[in-house]
Amino acid sequence: MAITFAEAVNTAIIGKGLMIGGGFIGPAIGIGLIGGNYLQAVGRNPEAAKFLGQALIFVAIVELFGLLAFASIFIVK
Amino acid sequence: MVTAVLQRFASDGPSVHVSPAGVFDIGGFTITNSILYGWISALIIIALMIYIAHRVTVKPQGGIIQFFEAGIEFISNLVENAFEDKKVGRKYVPYFVTIFFFILLNNWLGLLPFVGEGFHRGENPLLRPFTGDLNATFAIGLFTMVLVYTASVRESGGLRKYLRHFFVGSPFNPLYFVIGLLEMFTDLTRVMSLSLRLFLNVTIGEIVIAVFAYLGSVAAPLTALPFTLIELFIGALQAYIFTVLATMYLAIAVNHSQDHSHSDALTEGEVPETMGVSSPQGARG
Repeated sequence: MAITFAEAVNTAIIGKGLMIGGGFIGPAIGIGLIGGNYLQAVGRNPEAAKFLGQALIFVAIVELFGLLAFASIFIVK
Repeated sequence: MVTAVLQRFASDGPSVHVSPAGVFDIGGFTITNSILYGWISALIIIALMIYIAHRVTVKPQGGIIQFFEAGIEFISNLVENAFEDKKVGRKYVPYFVTIFFFILLNNWLGLLPFVGEGFHRGENPLLRPFTGDLNATFAIGLFTMVLVYTASVRESGGLRKYLRHFFVGSPFNPLYFVIGLLEMFTDLTRVMSLSLRLFLNVTIGEIVIAVFAYLGSVAAPLTALPFTLIELFIGALQAYIFTVLATMYLAIAVNHSQDHSHSDALTEGEVPETMGVSSPQGARG
């Protein structure tokens, strides 16, 4: 009696891993871009250093999508 | 001792409770562990704030009072500068300062070692961080957004004028009508995004600390320490972001309606104005 792939391997764990990995790539790139552009702006014009608070707000907005990917792993059984 | 350490690695892994669990019942209502700790921390916050309100003086003092003075001044400056008319902003300062300190202190009180997996009553922990529960953060987000909507309608001068600012051009233009409806729908997701961001940040912090305390085994305090310090920073950052976003939601509606108060009826020929995001800090230039 042949065993199918889904029986031999716990596919839920693979799915969760892909979900976490794929879901965190986007926010990681986004936060990197925000931080890099903020530092570039400060390097070009040191007066821009006061906009750190606004940069952090955009970090929070971007971060939410990674957090949603994390939250959805609890749905997969 | 070596076998004890090995047995720890061989076990199923750290147990983290993501959802709240009932601790006891009062007249049919289940009191969960997060609301129990929410009450305790609310009492702590009220006592602390009454103590500070009695001790604060014109001449600056050191210690904890200075910390709270600096925090209150920071948030009140931020709220006032977000509005074009500072008198309008000053009316809403007390609420935003309250919500900032409530979230900040709840986040920090949730990091204490006896909260979470420290004390158990049966299988479930006796205390859980209040902001690590979606019901709690959803209540905070809903309360904030109801206040924001009520205040926006009042500051715009009526429901009709408030609804008018969703439409960039004439509402009878089909394209602007659909865009306006979409804007209204997007507005409703703000409750969920505010509450989910706070809840998930606190919960992920709890999970990360639990995982690294488990990996550290006997040296658990050493391995969990850096992540606890990161969580202190993230707790403050999330309280700040919650306050700033709620302020901006209110300020966008209020400032936008003030722009249009002199020319309410836009004609189709006019260039549609983009929804400008007013900057909370860059207002001075």
